[in-house]
Amino acid sequence: MDQAIKISGLQKSYGNTAVLEDFELSVPSGNIFGLIGPNGAGKSTLIGILTGLLDYDGGQIVINGRELNEQNEQNIKRQIASVLQPPLLFEHFTSHDFLHYICDIYNIDMQDRQQKMDSMLEYLGLSEFKHAKINKLSAGSRKKLSFCAAILSQPKILFLDEPFESIDVISIGRMKTILNRLQEKGVTTIITSHILEIVENLCDDIAILHNQKIIAYLDSETRKELQKDSSLSEIFESYVEVEKPKNDVLKWL
Amino acid sequence: MLRKLIYLNWSAFMNRLTTFQTFLVAGYIVFLLMLFSNLIGSALVIVFFGQNMIVGQQLSWITPQLHQLIILIFANVLWILHFSFTSTRLLNMEENRKLLAYGYPVKKLSWHLNLMGFFHPLNVIYNFTWVVFLLLQIKHLMYVPVVLAVVLLNYAIIYSIKHRFLKIVEKRFKLIFFSALFVIFGSIQAIAIISRQFEAIVSKYLPSITSLNNYLFYTPGGLLQYSAAGDYNLTTASVIYGFSALLVFLIFRDHFFKTREGLQKPVKEGNIYKRNRLWNFLRKWLGLNAGKFYYYIFSHSYNRLQLLTIALIPAVYIPLLLQLGNNYYSNLLIPTMLAAIPVALLAMGMANMFGYENKEFLLHKQFPLSMEKQLKERFLGIIIVPLMIFYLITTAEILYLPQLGSVIEIYIANTFFFVCFTLVFLWSSFYYYKQVDYSSFSFKHPIISQKVTFMMTFLIFGLGYAVFAPLGSYQNYRLYVMGFLILAISLYLWRNMDVLVLAFEKHIMHRVWADADQ
Repeated sequence: MDQAIKISGLQKSYGNTAVLEDFELSVPSGNIFGLIGPNGAGKSTLIGILTGLLDYDGGQIVINGRELNEQNEQNIKRQIASVLQPPLLFEHFTSHDFLHYICDIYNIDMQDRQQKMDSMLEYLGLSEFKHAKINKLSAGSRKKLSFCAAILSQPKILFLDEPFESIDVISIGRMKTILNRLQEKGVTTIITSHILEIVENLCDDIAILHNQKIIAYLDSETRKELQKDSSLSEIFESYVEVEKPKNDVLKWL
Repeated sequence: MLRKLIYLNWSAFMNRLTTFQTFLVAGYIVFLLMLFSNLIGSALVIVFFGQNMIVGQQLSWITPQLHQLIILIFANVLWILHFSFTSTRLLNMEENRKLLAYGYPVKKLSWHLNLMGFFHPLNVIYNFTWVVFLLLQIKHLMYVPVVLAVVLLNYAIIYSIKHRFLKIVEKRFKLIFFSALFVIFGSIQAIAIISRQFEAIVSKYLPSITSLNNYLFYTPGGLLQYSAAGDYNLTTASVIYGFSALLVFLIFRDHFFKTREGLQKPVKEGNIYKRNRLWNFLRKWLGLNAGKFYYYIFSHSYNRLQLLTIALIPAVYIPLLLQLGNNYYSNLLIPTMLAAIPVALLAMGMANMFGYENKEFLLHKQFPLSMEKQLKERFLGIIIVPLMIFYLITTAEILYLPQLGSVIEIYIANTFFFVCFTLVFLWSSFYYYKQVDYSSFSFKHPIISQKVTFMMTFLIFGLGYAVFAPLGSYQNYRLYVMGFLILAISLYLWRNMDVLVLAFEKHIMHRVWADADQ
């Protein structure tokens, strides 16, 4: 199977603190890939590096067959899109103008874009905020708008950092439908989330990131086997060795 | 609990301060102390100079009526200053509201916030000055409670009026702002006319000074002064005291309820729907990057105000200078002010360069366009718009103000002025981008800081003197020097524009990532 992303020997540190060390990961094309890990494991940093927002100290990253470097950066960026946490939006634009801006950047055909924008906004329940300034939108609406922008840019690889945080159940269902439809078209999606039930239901392969490394890679076959007896959160806890609190630590409660 | 509230506000205030801002706060405290000593000093001099023997001998023309007029004018100036400076902010309402979730009773919080507002240093300075100014003039001890009640009432009324006044200004901003412009313009013109025939006008109105004092009695300053210096008996004093105390109670009660309501019902923005004609216009004419940048600049209310100020200063002063005729000062100051307009626009653009849209650079960086291209388009936009204004002004000067010099003189002098400041901004921006000094280019207030404004004004008038001061027969030599320097600076700018892009990418993007809570 083709690899959408191949990372080898990746190094990243903030000052003296190493965040990723000799990091290795491969994500198969067309996969909805879940990246889970405790807080501060380096998930957001990894997404930042893969989307070209952060530089890295060493190693190699290959995205859709091209190495991520200065020469290929623009070509790679044309093929990827992301929803970060918190979402990056142009605060003083209206939702409508923001999406138009994105369409201009990605050269989306003028005739198509209006229909695409309207249908996305309607599907995710944002139609009434079409002409609202973004800085007046709620946290959930902002996240959904960022998702709309990412989808409109027609990416081949989609990075979603905590995409379902602050979002209502109905919209989560619709976002999942969109992701499944994109998967049918061969789009690779990388999701980080702490809501393991969603990751469990939506993702094909799952990797657990802990102590600067991938400590477990669960492809769909392995997952089927493991999840016969236990849930994803139980599997997660078994891999991530967290010091258990003493029984009497909260006895005052 | 009040101690906890004060501690919270104090620590929130201190934690937000950078080293530079701490320095500014120290400067502000010095300013407040100077203001306080000036006010108290002025009050003492104005009240007592009538009793001084030397003053009586040397300024014998100061009659009791004239002294009363001076006191009334001071009282009203003090009232206007008090009105202008009274702080209506209820100390970090958003932050303090959170205390409600931690068990702080809403009634107590509302009361304590009002109390903290009352003890704002500026309010303390003005109220204390009033107390001193009025108590110096009392004739009997029974006036003391009346003066205290009236001063408190004055504060309560100013607070209420100002709060409502600001609300009205927000709603009718354009109407009020332009009306104020006309008033300022008219006042300055009136002062200019009076100052030309000062003695004639004063001698005409001086005999009617008593009736003028009678009118001033009904002004806020006059009424306050009457509470200390007027003649009234114990019954009248009790009535004034009782009535003032009742009004103070009612107004503070109203403030208390309003604060409580504000704490529990945060203001919601009513009108969130907005179509952006301005954005479409700017995108069409300046492109996606420079257009967005200018759209953001115009979205910021402070920048709109700054633009109006840039237009206002020449609009007020140039007609005045033209009235002076074709003399040395008008030939120096008019072209300096006009040349400063594009320079001020340029400064505004540079100050906003990584202003309050800084987090959005991360999204710009994700786009499949090189960051260098996007930034260069912005920088070019920053230069091109002031350059267009520069050409318009230069052409207007050549057509309508031929007394300022020949076409070549005006053109070279203005061009020199513009390229010099472009160079200054290139260097200073490079320095700031390297430092990523948020105290000077704060993302919350992407405006030109006071120290930069001060230095800019100094530089503008200094360079204006060097460039526009009439030199007689040496004029041609200056033109040659300026012509050579224009070529040299333009070449330097052309070759070094990249330094801004590099400094920006290298130093700012990391800071933006950290600040964006990613």
